[in-house]
Amino acid sequence: MDDQTVEKIVAEHQGSLGGMLSILSEVQEKYGYLPQDALRRVAVATGVSLADIYGVATFYRAYSLKPRGKHLVSACLGTACHVRGAPRIADELCRHLGIQPGETTADNEFTLETVNCLGGCALGPIVVVDGRCYSNVQKGKVAEILRRTRAGLGEPRAEHGFPLTIRCPHCRQSLMDPAHPIEGVPSIQLTVCWNGSRQTLHLSSLHGRQQVSGGPEIPAGSIVGLACPLCRRDLTDDAICPECGADLARVRVEEGATLTICTRRGCRGGRLDLDIPGVEAADRPSQE
Amino acid sequence: MRQLTSIRDFNLLRDRLQKQDEDGAVTIVIPAGTCGLASGAGRLIDAAQRAILAHRLAGRVRLRITGCHGFCQMEPSILVTPARTFYPNVSPRDVERIVQAAAQGQVVASLLPVDPVTGQTVERQDDLRFFVNQVRGVLRGNEDVDPTRIEDYVAHDGYGALVRALSRGDPAWVVEQIKIAQLRGRGGGGFATGRKWEMFAKQTNAHGKFLVCNADEGDPGAYMDRSVLEGNPHAIIEGMLIAAFGTGATRGVIYVRSEYPLAIKHAQIALRQARGLGLLGENILGTGIRFDIDIVRGAGAFVCGEETALIKSIEGRMGEPRQRPPYPIAKGIFGAPTCINNVETLANVPFILRHGAEAFAALGVEGNTGTKIFSLVGKIRNTGLVEVPLGTPLKDVVYEIGGGPLGKTRVKAVQTGGPSGGCIPASQFDLPISYDSLAKVGSIMGSGGMIVMDENTCMVDVARYFMNFLKDESCGKCLTCRKGTQRMYEILEDITLGKGTPEHLDLLEELARVVKDTTMCGLGQSAPNPVLSTLRYFRDEYRRHIEDKRCDAFVCKSLVGAPCQAACPVDTEPWRYVALIEKGQYEEAYQIIRSANPFPAVSARVCDRKCEHRCSLGTSGGEAIAVRAMKRFVTDNVDPAAYHPAVRTGTNGQAKKVAVVGAGPAGLTAAHGLSLLGHKVTVLEAEQEPGGMLACSLPAYRLPRRIVRDEIQTLLNENIRLRHGVVLGKDVNLRELFAEGFQAVFLALGAHESWRLDLDGEDLEGVHPSMQFLKAFNLRGEELARGRVGIVGGGNSAVDAARVALRQKDVTGVTLLYRRTRDEMPAYEEEVEAALEEGVTIETLVSPVKIHVRQEEIEAALREGVALETLVSPVRIFAREGRVVGLRCVRNRLGELDASGRRKPVVVPGTEFTLPLDTLIVAIGERPQSDSLAAMGLEVDKAGRVRVDPKTLATSMTGVFAGGDLVTGPNTVIDAIAAGKKAVQVIDRYLRGEPLAVAARAKLPTALLEPAVVSEEELSSATRAVAPVLPVKGRKKNFNEVERSLSEEQARAEARRCLRCDLAFTRDGPAAAGAPQAARGEHQA
Repeated sequence: MDDQTVEKIVAEHQGSLGGMLSILSEVQEKYGYLPQDALRRVAVATGVSLADIYGVATFYRAYSLKPRGKHLVSACLGTACHVRGAPRIADELCRHLGIQPGETTADNEFTLETVNCLGGCALGPIVVVDGRCYSNVQKGKVAEILRRTRAGLGEPRAEHGFPLTIRCPHCRQSLMDPAHPIEGVPSIQLTVCWNGSRQTLHLSSLHGRQQVSGGPEIPAGSIVGLACPLCRRDLTDDAICPECGADLARVRVEEGATLTICTRRGCRGGRLDLDIPGVEAADRPSQE
Repeated sequence: MRQLTSIRDFNLLRDRLQKQDEDGAVTIVIPAGTCGLASGAGRLIDAAQRAILAHRLAGRVRLRITGCHGFCQMEPSILVTPARTFYPNVSPRDVERIVQAAAQGQVVASLLPVDPVTGQTVERQDDLRFFVNQVRGVLRGNEDVDPTRIEDYVAHDGYGALVRALSRGDPAWVVEQIKIAQLRGRGGGGFATGRKWEMFAKQTNAHGKFLVCNADEGDPGAYMDRSVLEGNPHAIIEGMLIAAFGTGATRGVIYVRSEYPLAIKHAQIALRQARGLGLLGENILGTGIRFDIDIVRGAGAFVCGEETALIKSIEGRMGEPRQRPPYPIAKGIFGAPTCINNVETLANVPFILRHGAEAFAALGVEGNTGTKIFSLVGKIRNTGLVEVPLGTPLKDVVYEIGGGPLGKTRVKAVQTGGPSGGCIPASQFDLPISYDSLAKVGSIMGSGGMIVMDENTCMVDVARYFMNFLKDESCGKCLTCRKGTQRMYEILEDITLGKGTPEHLDLLEELARVVKDTTMCGLGQSAPNPVLSTLRYFRDEYRRHIEDKRCDAFVCKSLVGAPCQAACPVDTEPWRYVALIEKGQYEEAYQIIRSANPFPAVSARVCDRKCEHRCSLGTSGGEAIAVRAMKRFVTDNVDPAAYHPAVRTGTNGQAKKVAVVGAGPAGLTAAHGLSLLGHKVTVLEAEQEPGGMLACSLPAYRLPRRIVRDEIQTLLNENIRLRHGVVLGKDVNLRELFAEGFQAVFLALGAHESWRLDLDGEDLEGVHPSMQFLKAFNLRGEELARGRVGIVGGGNSAVDAARVALRQKDVTGVTLLYRRTRDEMPAYEEEVEAALEEGVTIETLVSPVKIHVRQEEIEAALREGVALETLVSPVRIFAREGRVVGLRCVRNRLGELDASGRRKPVVVPGTEFTLPLDTLIVAIGERPQSDSLAAMGLEVDKAGRVRVDPKTLATSMTGVFAGGDLVTGPNTVIDAIAAGKKAVQVIDRYLRGEPLAVAARAKLPTALLEPAVVSEEELSSATRAVAPVLPVKGRKKNFNEVERSLSEEQARAEARRCLRCDLAFTRDGPAAAGAPQAARGEHQA
């Protein structure tokens, strides 16, 4: 644990609305729980007594003072889920994992918690595993959910995705690179401009995957420039990523659509836009 | 997009976007809120994108990904506009067909939804029953806009209301509009929003004023705020902007729960876009107005929905409420004036300015204007978000929009208002929904959660659930809340564990009153509501738990034990004999069955299998164990002699003379049991042979006569005397019986009198009451039916009569006529219903007599060739030369809902038709022949049933007890046997001069039988055993038994599927089975 992490979080949120709640949420996001050391640092950095911080940390359900496992399993015990048999599902989870709610398995794989309501009331009982929501869970499905999670199949949309054929919106040449297939299909080649250098980067053409190979080592969160490797023109326009606010790069999908790619490393804010045909995008200097 | 610096700029942008949107292009709309994504909407989106690209439809067919539309039950779904075609529960592989059809302006008929009442497919979403009765003001936006595109919102007149307000330039006008609209806070309190804004507008503060959008939707079971924030975040932002303009607020906060990640994400995107467009920030649209909004994420504390707690949370502190005044309006966040409005309240604001305050006020009822969103969830067919004008009757929401209960259960109650609300019983469903009416029945509006509960929901458990929630969520500041909720929880927990006492109920009420009166904030003041409302409306359920140690909903584990055992009226231990079958110990299995039930072979054929309906395998999504078929296997393969009941001797003069009237299953069970205790029993039977319903009503193809005769033989011994052909009230009366030296009488006469249609000509030749028809054949071999046979009725005896008639040699065809739909046929006996309609209160041992569904019997009858005419009523009988020749009928449609949520059949004028008939059998139900009993001084109800104390079977005459169909009306064989068993206990106690009632105990498994080792694979691949049946061809004109026995291999394999619920009580110890562990768990370190 380095001092800087905590201090940076504190600096970002101190004095803003939500203050301590935001600080603790981010610390927990960073470490998976609220380590005592981190809380002591928060106390020093904010000038709030450790006792008060402990008060906040234990008042709210979302915070955990104990380390949590690799996977977080939340069983909803909201009223709607309750009348549809949620307690039985929670018991079944306990039985399979061999732990009680609030505990973590000995192999550190799973933490089980019960939550008051996840807002999926129409589809109860609900179980959320690592952010993936399972609806209408029945006792018999519990083992399967845990098995899938163990096998790493919990990642949303990881099973599908379909290939796109991409062209440069300016020179209209294909950006597909059969020589560098990713996951068995030709990848999209782009020039990435970062820190003054220009390098070629390969992007999965399977929609929804966003796998990348090649290119320079770029820390997550950095913003890069993206250009056509053939005509060298800049692919970004003045549209911004809805999720992070960075610039978006825009390329043409051969079948008649545009694909936007967020220029922030690690952001999944790009999207396939069927309403804006790629042809026009090329002719438009900017999109209002 | 460029930042807009003037209202003119905005109008230009809006006009351009609207023009783009108005081209009428076909749009595939896929709702992908949290619920949609959980149901697989993500895969539909991929499939739709793929299909549009593959078919080169981009630009011609649009794709819009929206938030939740509210019909969550049907997700993932697709809506195609502008035709508004709705496809429910879409599979990704069907998306391509839908896209292609939509491109050509067509529909995929096979994927359309079907109306459950008419059976017709429905094309337009708006014609679905779920939507027809809704008025969608706020939720409509969720269909129209992609929440991540501000362009969509602007194109649908988004921010238009704001611009109108800004153009007027008069903040007071805005507040006035909200006052005219009479908008009340949608978060639960129902405070007038206009008045709040007016007070807030008067506040001044040099450091600014805060406007908070409360999206801390903490009520479990309510999710409309999530849905609106996720699906239409700009509507909230616009509402906040209008509020800020009207009141002079300078800073906005959306306080949202961390459990709603997608709502937070969409709100963040929307705020960024609004800022980018110049709608937030400094100098909004060049008007000089400054306002921006921050998101503060809650961290999971229910109490933070309370405004003073919420403020502390925004300040980054523990969310403990504080005393008011000062109210937040004067002193809120960091001491600045703060106005807090709920998400839905704010979402209504743009709607009001757009459509006019008067138009809004015209919706709903006086004092409760506009629409309100409810989350209709729980035990209901159509779950989802429902938006209706206030004042709509609750029953319209539950039955019309919600589609009524799941399966064949009944809706018992609706819980509104979350943990601060209460349970409203079905008897109150005529109630118009408003802030005031809900308070009157002991609940509250709350944020709009409506959790529907049915017969499988235990109200004591519900109260315990809420108190568990509240004791965890109480902040602990007030002693009475902290300790009071804890103590109430403990008492409720004790009741569900079977440790309740009658005094507990008084104590609960007292505690509830104290907590209500002595706590500071809304959480504590309303915390007793769940307890008080369930005590008010469901006190009987509490008493069942306390006095009888029964949980009729099968929820409270410590009272239920193994559900199969608890479900059995005669306390058989199905888990036990199933385990013995698995081990090949068939004789032992027989002894277990026989020790509980004197009629094992009969029950193995005709029992209605309450055990199977409650089997944990079946109720958790699998197939129930075939318990009855297993019993049949045992009784077919074990000699009854394996069980030797001992007759008590040397009774020291304790043996008494007892008369049993009626030799049916109830009477014979009682006679047998009393005889084993050494009493001398005389059984009086009106017919010439014993058996009652078993002999005279049940057809031989279901229950061979030999089985009945043999089983009755095993029950007789030297202490029992059978007298045939003796009719009570004619040959002998009660006074004479006592004079003859009998010291107690058990009446078990059954229910042998058929209800009449009350039409002229019902006594003609060729018209027979079903009981008379069945008896003539079963007891005397007379075939009364010939030619074309019509049978009126839909219950068990109608189906039996139809199948018996079909087997008679002069019969050419059989038609069953029923006034409702097939779906509703055998759920409730007509007679019971008739009695209910007459206003008779049903006083049975448990609850209204519900005969379990016998769909398989109807199936069998149809396969054998019985014709079925549903939705018809007879109106006139035609005769020629004194004999029936036809029946005039009229068609019905399903009309209004009655109080129980069933649709009443309503005659359709002009649909009369005549059915030519040679025989008419009236089978609309039976009632006991109890006129003579009433004459002897016994209390009898309108439906002819003898009134007894349900705990002791004692009638209004000392020494006279009654049970079976005579008391309940037509009921099942197993319930009659249960009444006989009960009679044995109470009559024996009566004869010994002991108190009749004894304290009840929960019946829990005690014997430990080691379970078989069954692998997960075997468990998941095994399917329910199905007994072989005689093919239709081989059974049509004879009475050979239709159902056969399982093979040994089948039986033993079936036994391995059993989940062995008993082990939780025997192997793991009662502690493991007792308390619901999950609910007890600690949530934090």
